Amino acid sequence: MIKRVSGEQWLAFGIILLGLFMAWQLQDIPNDAGYAGIGPRFFPSLVVTGLIVAGGALLMQRRHSNGPDTILSDGENDAAEVEAEDEFARGDADWRMFAIASGSLIAHMALIGLVGFTLAGTLLCFGICRALDTRRPTLDLVLSFVLALGLFHLFKTLGLNLPALIPGGVL
Amino acid sequence: MESLNALFSLGFATALTPANLLWALLGCTLGTAIGVLPGVGPAVTVALLLPVTQSVDPTGALIMLAGVYYGAMFGGSTTSILLNTPGEAGSIVSALEGNKMAKAGRAGPALSTAAIGSFVAGSIATVLLTLLAPVIAGFALQLGPVETFALMMLTFAAVSAVLGNSPLKGFIALLLGLSMGLIGIESQSGQSRFTFGLMPLIDGIDIVVVAMGLFAIGETLYTATYENKIAGRIESLKGSFWMSKDDWKRSWKPWLRGTAIGFPFGTLPAGGTEMPTFLSYSAERKLANPETQKQFGKGAIEGVAGPEAANNAAVTGTLVPLLTLGIPTSATAAIMLSAFQQYNIVPGPLLFDTNPELVWGLIASLYIGNVMLLVLNLPLVGLWVQFLKVPRPLLYGGIVVLATMGAYALRQSWFDLMLLYIIGVLGFMMRRFDFPVVPLVVGLIVGPMAEKHFRRAMSIHQGDLTVFLTHPISLAILIVTAAILIVPPLMKRRQKMLQAA
Repeated sequence: MIKRVSGEQWLAFGIILLGLFMAWQLQDIPNDAGYAGIGPRFFPSLVVTGLIVAGGALLMQRRHSNGPDTILSDGENDAAEVEAEDEFARGDADWRMFAIASGSLIAHMALIGLVGFTLAGTLLCFGICRALDTRRPTLDLVLSFVLALGLFHLFKTLGLNLPALIPGGVL
Repeated sequence: MESLNALFSLGFATALTPANLLWALLGCTLGTAIGVLPGVGPAVTVALLLPVTQSVDPTGALIMLAGVYYGAMFGGSTTSILLNTPGEAGSIVSALEGNKMAKAGRAGPALSTAAIGSFVAGSIATVLLTLLAPVIAGFALQLGPVETFALMMLTFAAVSAVLGNSPLKGFIALLLGLSMGLIGIESQSGQSRFTFGLMPLIDGIDIVVVAMGLFAIGETLYTATYENKIAGRIESLKGSFWMSKDDWKRSWKPWLRGTAIGFPFGTLPAGGTEMPTFLSYSAERKLANPETQKQFGKGAIEGVAGPEAANNAAVTGTLVPLLTLGIPTSATAAIMLSAFQQYNIVPGPLLFDTNPELVWGLIASLYIGNVMLLVLNLPLVGLWVQFLKVPRPLLYGGIVVLATMGAYALRQSWFDLMLLYIIGVLGFMMRRFDFPVVPLVVGLIVGPMAEKHFRRAMSIHQGDLTVFLTHPISLAILIVTAAILIVPPLMKRRQKMLQAA
């Protein structure tokens, strides 16, 4: 039987890849600066080794209902049961909402320098409201603007420098 | 009684200045207000308010942040009782019985016993902190880099293996934290590591960005993806608000027992509030008379009083290793440590000699803060309940705006916003696959410190790795570390074999 690769196993792959990538980056760290045999490359090497080993262990680990550390006898398989339980507790993933939240954050990142804190913040707050399935979008848009404007002026008086649309302006 | 002398002559003298009183009040109020918001724990509250303190003097700022820390704990219990959505691990247990009490129309007594219990526990624990801290600091002065490194290894092992349900996942989280801690200029050799040629990475990744990313952005992404359909229900505050005579009679012993359980746990490197609260809950359950035992699971006041006290005592307990050894044992303590670092103050045994006003002022402000919080939380609880009525979409929107602002304000650069988002996605995945985040935060902060001590130890002892085993204190600490790692899996295996037989 071909087993479906679980999300956790993908994550384990990711961790191993990260470890390998860092191992490759290790070469850029000169090691001659150290003394007593311990240079700036020593600690990163330990961490990298740890990542690869732990990622491997996670990949090998079978998923069990009694917690990840229980020992199963051969032939015992409770993966399906766990999967069902998991989905019950979590509900279905709504990736559209994930995309809206991510998009808002990325748009905010791109816009903050251009349109200033207040407008970018309004957009971000409103976007997150949409991602959380708001029931009253218009009111949320207004409140997002009020919140962003309020924070902008509050922190301006506190001495925190935030970008404005027009330098020195109210927005 | 040197410490009492220092507390009164230095501590209260510092903490009772009008400015510092104001900072304490502001911290307690903001902490409660933000801590009440569902899904926002003390760690993210402190991180959110960290940028605000940048223009304040160190003593005032730390007094305020300590107030925020305490306030967020108080506020968190209100949320878990009324809304059954614990913001952090420590209030999971109070949600068990507390929410049941609220459902039965006894929200008032549940909130009261939580607030008074937190006050009692916080005050007793602060007395213990006052008496213990100088003693431990004196002892810690004799610890060299070898012993300090061993202690940090113990911390790593404890936070990753003991907390959470899978030691392996704990270790992966720790390693991710350590990896992030490696980024930037290495302090001893001046070499840059893992910066990928990117200038903004040379200073390393700021803890504020990590905490906000993991807790605020990660949580928001998770809620948006998985929890839109789950609706929370606020229990209303009806009936008598005050505790009856019987409630008092049933509460005072659990408060004291909870304190006794919580404080020692807080001082251990395996800090955190999860274990002591669960222990206190099961202790109360076992000690209850048969009549009350039946109430457990349906809203027993003992099940709120004990764990709440344990929670607050443990929080105060975590200040012992933080102030005396400079080792944070919880996510919030790690962020507090970075607040110290922001002012180039190094917590540790020397702090009591170099910055006595600051340390004793901070400790004195804990006494004052506890009183303030009792006042803020008992008569004014109705006000905080209003905060629970903020619709969830707007609430998360506001938190995300605050988080991005905090990250952006660090350097006025979109680069930090990108890091924030990337770490947010990491936090989302960790939440999705049940990875604990505390080891990551502790690894990020303690990792670079551990490396420094390790290399210092090596240069003193000419690269002889056996020093860790030949120094008796270090050897003892490492044996405990090994025991933490080896014993629990062995016990599990044994249990399994016994069951099979």
